[in-house]
Order: sequence, then structure tokens, then C-alpha cells
Amino acid sequence: MVGIGDKLLGYATNPDVRNRGASGGLVTAVLAAALEKGMVEGVVVLKRIDEYEAIPVITDDVQEVLASGGSMHAVPVNLTKHAVGRKIAMPGKPCDVRGVIEQAKRNGVDLENTYIVGLNCGGSMHPVVTREMLIRMYEIDPEDVVGEEIEKGKLIFKTKDGEEKAISIDELEEAGYGRRENCRYCTIKIPTNADLACGNWGVIGELAGSATFCEVMNEKGKRLLDNAIEAGFIEVQPADEKSIAIRNKVNSAMLKLGDEWKGRLLTEIHDQERLTYYIEQFADCIDCGACREVCPVCTCGEDSKCTMFHSLADNYKMSMYHMVRLLHLSDSCIGCGQCSDICPVDIPVTTIFRRFADPAQKKRDYSPGMDLQRPPFLELMLK
Amino acid sequence: MAGTEWEPKIVAFCCNWCSYGGADTAGMGRFQQPSSLRIIRVMCSGRIDPMHVFNAFLEGADAVLVTGCHLGDCHYVNGNYKAQVRYQFLEEMVRELGLEPERLQLNWISASEGEKFANFIRDVTAQIKQLGPSPLKPEGVN
Ligand SMILES: Cc1cc2nc3c(=O)[nH]c(=O)nc-3n(C[C@H](O)[C@H](O)[C@H](O)COP(=O)(O)OP(=O)(O)OC[C@H]3O[C@@H](n4cnc5c(N)ncnc54)[C@H](O)[C@@H]3O)c2cc1C
Ligand code: FES
Repeated sequence: MVGIGDKLLGYATNPDVRNRGASGGLVTAVLAAALEKGMVEGVVVLKRIDEYEAIPVITDDVQEVLASGGSMHAVPVNLTKHAVGRKIAMPGKPCDVRGVIEQAKRNGVDLENTYIVGLNCGGSMHPVVTREMLIRMYEIDPEDVVGEEIEKGKLIFKTKDGEEKAISIDELEEAGYGRRENCRYCTIKIPTNADLACGNWGVIGELAGSATFCEVMNEKGKRLLDNAIEAGFIEVQPADEKSIAIRNKVNSAMLKLGDEWKGRLLTEIHDQERLTYYIEQFADCIDCGACREVCPVCTCGEDSKCTMFHSLADNYKMSMYHMVRLLHLSDSCIGCGQCSDICPVDIPVTTIFRRFADPAQKKRDYSPGMDLQRPPFLELMLK
Repeated sequence: MAGTEWEPKIVAFCCNWCSYGGADTAGMGRFQQPSSLRIIRVMCSGRIDPMHVFNAFLEGADAVLVTGCHLGDCHYVNGNYKAQVRYQFLEEMVRELGLEPERLQLNWISASEGEKFANFIRDVTAQIKQLGPSPLKPEGVN
């Protein structure tokens, strides 16, 4: 039996799962065990197409879950919406988890029935940018890539001829490649808001690369792990002081780097120029509505203020759609980057929304999607 | 009308029970007021959606005023507290957008405060005349 707050090192007992897993395959094994033992009706997994594409699917097939291990760094999906209205277990980067919690606050998700295995995340990459980076920086044909790995600050690609090429992430990012912009200044790297927080930071010595560091965050996390241990799917041992210290140290270093990136990417725009800047950026908008569609914290559904009161015929200086959304998201934007990724005309939507949300959230010392304790401010409940 | 001074358009949302009464009292008390004001009466300041404010700006308002009963006096218990929460977000947003802060203002005015209402409108009008037309005003709107 594990306890809440335990910090453990663990791995899947099935050697295939352990090998295929990004670390120790623990995440995959825990998800599979939850399904096997009937804790949930389905599991969200990423169905891999190639290095740059994977589709989230909800499966009730334990074998399909077991075959789904491994981290896809060039698949910046957000899994939040797959949890809406279902009784499932899912893996989740911090932004996936934050989305689920914001949905739960707005009654979109029943957290009692949703198990979330959190993954540490230092950031993900845009698939199109990744392909371009492979050609320009690595001089590798993107189709030849068979695997990718991050080690000691370097991004390593392996080709089908067995070759490896490593370039430091700093160098890639200076050249405009590497992680998506919003990931660079993201403030949550360890998903302490999930039921379990799993990652490879702190896995050292002979276990390096073949075990997963796992912190039990709450009662549901404890249930997940106990179930997987009892089912014989995983083995765990307590993490020692050194492991824990390394995990904390890497996290702090990443957060500090994130702060620097924030300063660089959200540069101040002068008072007199801001309005022109926003008007010009949104002038490119073709009204496709995709940014709203992919937004993990939006629960408005079909009929929403931002669309119902917006008409192109109005010919306003600035789009009503974006004005409403800017306000609506200032308390709840989690900076997941989906809106920028999807935008067909390349408006830096996330960066713009962060310019509004960042000061609003900072002022209230509020980080959306981290807990259920505080309500969305705009729907403030008066005592 | 060449030569006449530019007159801003100011939209004020007034709640039925207090600030609208304040505007009425200002008229009955014969306090001089500029002709810049367009009042929109709502039952309570809690009815004012940020969207209404955006709409006013996008349709050509040079300033938008959110008004209601004094805190504690709302006739629907806490409508003005709700308005206040929304207003804070709205204010921060309008700042970040780059609109001058004078263009969006909040004031609690009771039905008996006619003079306060008139002074408020006069002050705002003077501030906006200094600033000139709103940059969000559509082409072709005065
Ligand atoms: C984009 C990304 C960045 C990461 N960065 C770090 C890091 O900086 N430091 C760190 O300690 N750990 C990081 N991790 C976590 C780490 O790679 C492992 O996922 C974790 O250690 C669990 O290992 P495992 O072998 O137990 O998981 P596995 O058994 O391999 O299971 C992984 C699970 O993650 C899901 N998954 C894969 N890719 C994605 C994705 N893009 N989005 C959502 N779910 C996905 C799979 O469907 C699978 O269920 C990152 C993970 C991802 C996806
Ligand atoms: S009735 Fe005046 S603010 Fe509510």
C-alpha cells in the first residue's frame, strides 16, 4: 500500500511495456491496470501515426493501452476535451490536467470519475516546425526519423540507418526552432494538480532510463497505484533523498529559464502602440472559430457570447469575438498554446491572450487549473 | 458644422433605481450638463455585461460609464458587487488594449445625488475632449 505524498521509483513488470515506455512504462501500466480492474470504462491514449502525428483515442482494450507507451514530443495535442462526460483514466501533461480541472469547475468533467496520470513536461514542439528543423538544423530527412529523445539539454534524433544526431535545445531555440513559445515560459513543469505526477527527473544510477519517478498527489492517485501493484502490473520502491533533490533542482532550473523566456517573448509594447498592434494582428482573422474550438478551458458550447454577438457585417475596428474571448479567458487561460497552433493565418493568439491573462492572474495570485478551491473569478460566487 | 467644437459621445449605463434616478434629479435640479451623454437604462448594474461595453466602444462611443447604486444599496442585494468584479477585469483589459483609462469609468451614484451625477458627466466630457475621439470608433462615425 502506498501513501498520499509518497515519492516513488517504479516500472512496468511487463518488459515490453517497460522498454517502450519513455521512462519505466509505469504510466502505461497504471492506465492499463485501471481499465483491466474496472476502475474506469476507457483510457485515453495517443495512437501513433508517425513521429509527428498521433491521434488521441478512447479505448476499452487493455492491449491497445499497453501498446501505447512512449512520449511524443512533437505532438502538442491537448487531451482535456476527451475527459468531458466520460468515466476514463488519462495521461496528461500539466496543461492537459489544468484543462480538466477548469472543466470540472464549470461542471464539464466529474473529477470523481476521472483519473489523471500526470506527466512532467518541459515542453512540446510543433510538428511542422519540427520537420523544418530536421531539414535545416539536423540535415536529416524527416521521414527517416525513427525515434527522438531528450538528454542533458540536447534533442537527439535517431534515423533508420541507426545514426544519431544531437543539438542543444538552447541552440535550436535561438534559431527559432525547438519548443513552442508558450511551453518555454510555462510555469508548471510537474503536474502536482494530477492524481499522480510522473516523470524521469530524479531517476538516476542504474535505473536511469528504465524507471519512472512517481509522486502520489491524492487519494485517487493512491487508488491507481495500489490497484496497479495489486494487479501485478508495476513494481515500486521509495525514491531516495538524492533522487528527490535532483528532481527539485531540475524543476527550479527549468522554471528560472522559463522566467527569462517570458521576459523575451512577452516584451512590453508601448502604451501608444498596443491598440494598433492588437488591431493589426486580429485584422488577419478569417473568423474560422478554430481557436475557440480547441480551447480546453472553454465550456460555452454552441451558443456563446463570443460568436452570437459577432458579425462580420459590423465592420468594427476590432473583432467582437476576440474582445469577448480576451475578457472571458483573462482569469482562466492556461497558456496551452492550442489556439496559436491551430490558427490558419498564424496570428500569435496564445501570446496575445497571455498578455491579458498574465497580469490578471498574477494580480490575484491565481493559477487556473491547479486546484478546485477557487472559483473562476468571472463567475464569482457571492457568499 | 464647421467651427463648432467637437462633442464626444459618452455612453452611460445607469441602473433604474439609483444612478438613473440621479440623472433625473440632475435634470430636475437644473444642473448644467453637456449634450455628450447617451444614457442606457438597465434594471441593475449587475445586468451590465462587459460585452455591452465593448459594443458601445466598437459602435463609436468615446467613453463608457458604468454606474449603479452605492455598494450595499443595490435593490437586488448584490448586483453591484457582481458589476464590480466584472468591471475590474474589464478595466484591466481596456488598459492592456491600450485605450486611455479615462474612457472607461465606474461610479456609484444614488437617486438623490443629482449634482454628483452632473459633475461626473461634466468632468468626463472635459477629459474626453482633451483626449479626442476614441481610436476604436468606426470609420465614418462622428
Ligand atoms: C511532451 C512531453 C514532454 C516531457 N518532458 C519531460 C521533462 O522535461 N521531464 C520529465 O521528467 N518528464 C518529461 N516528460 C514525461 C516523460 O517523458 C514520461 O512520459 C514519464 O516519465 C512517464 O514515463 P513512462 O515510461 O512511465 O510513461 P509511458 O509508459 O511511456 O506512457 C506515456 C503516456 O503518455 C502519453 N503521451 C505521450 N505523448 C503525449 C503527449 N504529447 N501528450 C499527452 N500525452 C502523451 C502516452 O499516450 C502514454 O499514455 C514529458 C512527456 C511529454 C509527453
Ligand atoms: S439596483 Fe442599482 S446597482 Fe443593483
